[in-house]
Amino acid sequence: MSMRKSLAVVALAAPLAFVGCGGGEKEAPAAAPATTTAAAPAATDAGAAAKGSASISGKISFAGTAPAPEKIKVSADPYCQKEHKDGLERKVVDVKDGGLKDVFVYVKSGVTGTYPAPTEAVELDQSGCMYKPHIVALQVGQPLKIKNNDETLHNIHPRPAVNGEFNIGQPRKGMESTKTFDKKEVMIPVGCDVHPWMRSYISVLDNPFFAVTDEDGKFEIKGLPAGEYEIEAVHEKLKSQTGKITVKDGEKATLDLSYKG
Amino acid sequence: MTPSPGVPHERSVAAIGGSPGLSSFAPWRHRLSVLLVASTLALIFVGGLVTSTGSGLSVPDWPLSYGMVMPPMVGGVFYEHGHRMVASGVGFLTLVLAVWTARAEGRATLRRLAWGALTAVIAQGVLGGLTVIYLLPTPISVTHACLAQAFFCMTIALAYLTSREWLAASPALEDRARVRGAAVAATAAVLGQLVLGAIMRHIGAGLAVPDFPRMYGRWIPPAEVLEQAPVAVHLAHRAGALVVLAFVLRLALRATRDGDGRLARPAQIALGLVFAQIGLGALTVLTGKAVLPTTAHVATGAAILGLCWFTTLRTRRHLRVAASAAAVAALGDPAVS
Repeated sequence: MSMRKSLAVVALAAPLAFVGCGGGEKEAPAAAPATTTAAAPAATDAGAAAKGSASISGKISFAGTAPAPEKIKVSADPYCQKEHKDGLERKVVDVKDGGLKDVFVYVKSGVTGTYPAPTEAVELDQSGCMYKPHIVALQVGQPLKIKNNDETLHNIHPRPAVNGEFNIGQPRKGMESTKTFDKKEVMIPVGCDVHPWMRSYISVLDNPFFAVTDEDGKFEIKGLPAGEYEIEAVHEKLKSQTGKITVKDGEKATLDLSYKG
Repeated sequence: MTPSPGVPHERSVAAIGGSPGLSSFAPWRHRLSVLLVASTLALIFVGGLVTSTGSGLSVPDWPLSYGMVMPPMVGGVFYEHGHRMVASGVGFLTLVLAVWTARAEGRATLRRLAWGALTAVIAQGVLGGLTVIYLLPTPISVTHACLAQAFFCMTIALAYLTSREWLAASPALEDRARVRGAAVAATAAVLGQLVLGAIMRHIGAGLAVPDFPRMYGRWIPPAEVLEQAPVAVHLAHRAGALVVLAFVLRLALRATRDGDGRLARPAQIALGLVFAQIGLGALTVLTGKAVLPTTAHVATGAAILGLCWFTTLRTRRHLRVAASAAAVAALGDPAVS
């Protein structure tokens, strides 16, 4: 091969051989101020179903012995280690006084009509090399604002079954990205491949009737029209539980569900 | 040595790249190609670490990493970006070797092989990028894994064809022990097993059969589990290990019988590695895919392929096809041996 041909090949191959060279950073688009999960108010829409005045509240309990907290090594990232000097423990089954935390509770069936997605974003924060909150819930089409509050990089990688999978990077503190989901799907696992212990779940519904249990295992779903509903409680580790309930306008109904260890 | 088209052995040597004699030996180019072989094996190990640690998507962009040339090497980034760095190094070595070969090598086949290796390493880099961008699609990930093995074999050929041994005009002997065919068959069997292994690994079937040496508690797995594709692929890989053992054992026996240490040694090492590889495969299952045994299993597979392929090349250089079946039969005759 002639010298000229050799040089031409070098010129063509060099950029590919040195993958990783180059510059430029992409800033993810910022989004509107965040709101929390659980029954965000729907935007007004001409074809929207009217919200009701009933509510369902209750407690998701856990009876038995919860698995011991999982000890997690965070030494792979000095920043995360600094954030968790005494080590990190993850309670997958988090029980306090019999109440089970981080259970996604939603109306599985019985809802009629359409409920337009709120324009307010739901926030998923990466802070202390953990996701906050652990369970995120929002409506189809509602913005999800993902923030990096850590002085280390994260990638955000949901693994949905019916929605589109994505994987985005946030290398610097303060970065934000906004995503939406276009299909109903409950408990989509979200992870950071840089920090494999980071895990969260996103639930996407086509109505606003959902909640996540607090540290006492309590939840409340507001604004339901009168009707008969099937309620499902979903936990990341335990099997789901369902219950049926009928509510009238203005009624504050109670539904408790329980898991056994 | 000038290739002589009238003799089968010379034809086969010429087909691989000819043997122009020791005067054309280029020691530094040969050393570079040997360095490329070693670097490629190291790269296969590092690439295996990426999958074993589940770090394949810890860097979500390509060709940059988080928009940077050098991101913080934390968590999974250490493995994924580390793999990219080692791959870039191998790509650079290949580029230098290809250009050097193109300018200094007299054998057209070798020049083509060097350009082929460069094309392969570039394609491999692009496939690696596509796996990241498209979130580890199985066909691309499997192709990436298999092309790594093919590239490794190309580097071995580049190193051997530039060696003193290849260039020296030593006469070839009759392949009375039928080592040539055994070497090709063993190489093909190992390659097939590596493809199966890559498919198993990238469809996540490494633990589809959770016990070893039994399979779902039995020596013969229950028929109903075979209906599940991951289980079928996993069991095919286990069966493939026995096939590889048989072929490499045959190669080692024949090469030993042939008596030429240049053929017997790599074949015997390959056989030893097959036993180690079966142990590593068992450890992979029994430890629930612990990072070290799983990755060592990948790299050892590549080493076995490399040794079988190297033995194949050596048989092409040192053995010529036996003149007749009688010569084969004569192997057992003390008067002949």
